[in-house]
Amino acid sequence: MLVSFRWLQELCPVDAGVDEVAHRISLAGLEVEAMEEKGKNLTGVVIAEVRAKSPLPKKDKLTLVTVFDGENELEVVCGAANVPEPGGRVLFARSGAVLPNGMEIAPRKVAGAESNGMICSEAELEIGIDADGIFVVDPDTEALPGTSVADALDLYDVILDIGLTPNRPDCLGHVGIAREIGVLLGVGFTSRKAAGPRRSFAAAGSFQAGEPTTKLAPLWDNDSEAVDTPKLPAIFVEIADGDRCPRYGAALVSGVKIAPSPFWLRYRLHNLGLRALSNVVDATNLILLEWGHPIHAFDLERLAGPKVLVRRATQGEKMATLDEVERTFTEDDLLICDADGPVAVAGVMGGRDTEIRDETSDVLIECAYFDPRSIRRTSRRLGLHTDSSHRFERGVDPGAVPRVLASAASLIAELGGGAAATTAIDRISIPFEPNSIRFRPARAAQLLGTPVPQEESLRILESLGCQVVEQGDDAFIADAPSWRPDLGREVDLIEEVARVRGYEEIPTAVPRVHPSEAGTSGLLKFVDRLREAAVASGLYEAVNYGFLSIDDLRKARVSIDAVPLANPLSEERSVMRTSLLPGLTAAATRAQRRGATEVRLFELARTFHPTDDTLPREDTVLAITLAGQRAGWIGGEQSFDLYDGKGVIQAVLERVFGQKPKLTVGELPSFLHPKRGARVTLASRPVGFVGEMHPDVGDDLGLIGRVIYAELDVEGLYALSEELGPTQARDLPKYPAVARDIAMLVRDQFSAGEIADALREVSKGLAESVRLFDLYRGDQIPDGHRSLAFRVTYRDPDGTLTDKRVDKVHASLAKLASDRFEATIR
Amino acid sequence: MAEPDAVQTFENGLAEIRGAYAEALRAARSEPELRLINGRYVGPQGELTKLLKLMPKLPGEQRRELGQAANALKQEIQATFDEALQSIHRSAREAELTGPPLDVTLPGRWQMPGRLHPITRVRNEVIDIFVSLGFDIADGPEVELYENCFDKLGFPPDHPATDEQDTFFIGAAGSIDAQSVLLRTQTSTIQIREMMKREPPLAIVSPGAVYRRDDDATHSPMFFQLEGFLVDEDVTFAELKGVLTLFLRRLFDEHIAVRFRASYFPFVEPGGEVDMSCVFCRAWEGDRARTTQCRVCKGTGWMEILGCGMIHPVVFENVGYDAEKYTGFAFGMGLDRIAMLKYGIPNIKLLYENDVRFLSQF
Repeated sequence: MLVSFRWLQELCPVDAGVDEVAHRISLAGLEVEAMEEKGKNLTGVVIAEVRAKSPLPKKDKLTLVTVFDGENELEVVCGAANVPEPGGRVLFARSGAVLPNGMEIAPRKVAGAESNGMICSEAELEIGIDADGIFVVDPDTEALPGTSVADALDLYDVILDIGLTPNRPDCLGHVGIAREIGVLLGVGFTSRKAAGPRRSFAAAGSFQAGEPTTKLAPLWDNDSEAVDTPKLPAIFVEIADGDRCPRYGAALVSGVKIAPSPFWLRYRLHNLGLRALSNVVDATNLILLEWGHPIHAFDLERLAGPKVLVRRATQGEKMATLDEVERTFTEDDLLICDADGPVAVAGVMGGRDTEIRDETSDVLIECAYFDPRSIRRTSRRLGLHTDSSHRFERGVDPGAVPRVLASAASLIAELGGGAAATTAIDRISIPFEPNSIRFRPARAAQLLGTPVPQEESLRILESLGCQVVEQGDDAFIADAPSWRPDLGREVDLIEEVARVRGYEEIPTAVPRVHPSEAGTSGLLKFVDRLREAAVASGLYEAVNYGFLSIDDLRKARVSIDAVPLANPLSEERSVMRTSLLPGLTAAATRAQRRGATEVRLFELARTFHPTDDTLPREDTVLAITLAGQRAGWIGGEQSFDLYDGKGVIQAVLERVFGQKPKLTVGELPSFLHPKRGARVTLASRPVGFVGEMHPDVGDDLGLIGRVIYAELDVEGLYALSEELGPTQARDLPKYPAVARDIAMLVRDQFSAGEIADALREVSKGLAESVRLFDLYRGDQIPDGHRSLAFRVTYRDPDGTLTDKRVDKVHASLAKLASDRFEATIR
Repeated sequence: MAEPDAVQTFENGLAEIRGAYAEALRAARSEPELRLINGRYVGPQGELTKLLKLMPKLPGEQRRELGQAANALKQEIQATFDEALQSIHRSAREAELTGPPLDVTLPGRWQMPGRLHPITRVRNEVIDIFVSLGFDIADGPEVELYENCFDKLGFPPDHPATDEQDTFFIGAAGSIDAQSVLLRTQTSTIQIREMMKREPPLAIVSPGAVYRRDDDATHSPMFFQLEGFLVDEDVTFAELKGVLTLFLRRLFDEHIAVRFRASYFPFVEPGGEVDMSCVFCRAWEGDRARTTQCRVCKGTGWMEILGCGMIHPVVFENVGYDAEKYTGFAFGMGLDRIAMLKYGIPNIKLLYENDVRFLSQF
């Protein structure tokens, strides 16, 4: 919210400078996010008097104006149509001045004439938005030519941008912030009376007899001249839904003339981010910014009286709001209606047909308190967030209705030259009941960790507007003020005390933490170990968004049974991922497009799967992708293939489990190459898969070359690790090993793994390891065959092996190979 | 039958070999050369070997004497050879030690490890600090119930406080009315889940992905938060200040200043935000000129880093704790933001693009 420091100074007797104030309120919860000094960037722009003007020949739009800038008479060419007659004053930028937009003024030739400066519009000086003509100084403004524009128009101010938290509706107006400053800087705050209108009238006949009213005159600071009550249609207010409208007030101003507002008002609104329109509308906005309480001005003549009815809409009821949009309502929306139907969406926006027009003469001012939740629902349903709904949905001050009406009526009467009624309708369906809150200084001390003297707490709470209604030795009861709906229980008051004293007054202490018996869940620690293992195995960690498009899933041939978002930001991110594949391979594709030669990525994250329960199932998955070339040393690069995938899976699992996974041929996910992939098992348990991407899927995903993809089921691995327990150490061998090689020519149908397993098995426990060390296909090898060479390491755990014994066993291996695998021993 | 010539030939042969061997060896410059020469004399076809084949032809009385002489020569040759070999080794080593250095600029050769994502790194650092203080780690689902994300945390129904966290809801597209399931907007949901499960004392941190409908230059629709909370009897705001001050000093720099400002989150009261000295201009070092020009803290010397507060009694009531007996504090931080601050990452989008050129920097 934008706040004028000048205005705050008018409302509260603060001596401190703006920096000090900004600092103090920031620490107390009103965070000043930015400050902008006004009136400082207009050096060289002065008041000048028009001495002569004549149209430029052949340039009917341009005028040659002679101005006196306090020092010299200068000729300047002006393109505006509203150059005043000689004697009028304008805002003149001298040569050398720099306008707020960065434009530097210099003498130049315009249409053959010498132009020495520039006569400015308010938009050019960024003191308003009117760019249609130049700014003509009001005759009432006392300023000699040569006076700086900032001095002449009193442009000095500092605008604070305060990031208000939603619990502080009281600070959505200058009065509330001034009160806060008064408390925080210890200068106090008293809500002042509004300057009264010059002319007022008794409203007696204007309201239906018996209508509850409130007197406005006592709320005005000065007496006003009583004028005759104008002949106005009598009106009355009926509230059909008291829960949603606990209070509705209405004041009258008669005989106004709609005109532009004076400069000071337009300038203030402009600085605070609002657009000046006309005096009456501008007045309602100024009141909104002053009190934080939205009001609405109806053109009384256009209200079909006599009744103003506050009721809920009927389903499908329609009305055009003043932004010219036809709105359709539900039974949950609250409307203000006249005899003909709705005239305003309560608390959100007025209706088009009863808004202030240029011809408006009599104004009905509405100031109400609406139920915040009702306003919020309507505002959201209509997609209509206004300065008004913003305040009502946070909770305005129901107690402020008479004061706001008094201020508003007076201001509108003053600006419009009308007269204000001295009383206003004030219909209350639910009287405001303050929250009575017990405050125990001991509890405050216990919560804050520092003693809080009772007198100090009392002083702070009273300065904030709390009324102490009962006082005991170790507690007191305070009524929260009507403008603080956020104060509902003791802890709220404790926060107020802590906040006003300043959090810096609370000492720091280190707590005694009671460590839990269970500690962190094993799964979380396991996940970290897997992550570390993946990194140690050469993989880079990727993090992708949890959502993607259904098309991403379809293209990747993964499950499209996905959890949908009801309100996605875009179609591209409209369902939760069922697999990490699309995200990870997309990263690989992007890397390849950029020319990366080697992509080694992993992601350890969740996938989401619909269930019959309310919440979907979330699986934790480790996914790996390898693309491009494995780095060799200077020229030794080779494309990644299945065996790199196998190797990395092995590296990760061996690091965590201390044992090797096994790859078996089996059914593979359809996004993998049917012949170049495998299921991964660990301790005979299926834990994932690894393989080349199916070339068709690779094409669909834009991958280049053979890309490896693998997935491991993290929860399954964790369960297995719990079951297997920690790695158990084996004793080191006491006797030496003997190595023998066996080479054979076999047909492709026999896998190296099954041959190695069989060799180990037939060795009767003597073959400690059987390792493939050579694989050859080539000239001397028949088609469909390959030459495999294994190194068998023999060891007897109980004694030294003799050559004879090894020879015998080794021969049995050779026999097995030729018998079972039809191998030719080489 | 003895041949007197044989004796002469043998004797001459020994003398000749003795002279020639030493001579030949002296010319050798490398080990293979040396071995080649050696083979010419003592190899299977070598001069000495050939000579020894004459032994049977020598007269018996001289055979023994000459045999000894031949053996002596053999040993002499071996000794000469060993010495020459050693000398060649030595000069080769000498040459390596004094010769030109290797080209150390050639690439290194090793299976290089990968890298953790910067968010994971920061998360680990943060977690390590809290674990050392006695906190456990917990997590929970990313797809959550509305009540765990808002109601139980004390967000009033239809309250603008939920606007601050524009929420993704789960359901058929457009069905905003079914708002019971959502993507969690904050890891504070773990507070509710853990408190429903366990009794105090509790000290827990929970990192995780959260989602908000914000996607612009400074916001990512998914990002990472870490929530922490401590519940026990007599937990105080002073202790909240103590823990967070300690944490920030350990994470960034032991000299940074930390300040607490009042703020509002529905589930804490008193609530606050925490600022620390700007870590870009190292504001605690007091170089005013540097701080004044700092774009990150806009010259203030402070940067916002955490939200925190005392757990609201309504939260305790919602999970069935005795709100008079127990007090607690909670805090939350954006891990993305901390990663960006710590590593000087200029743009949040970099964290989710998975560009290896970026990932390999950490």
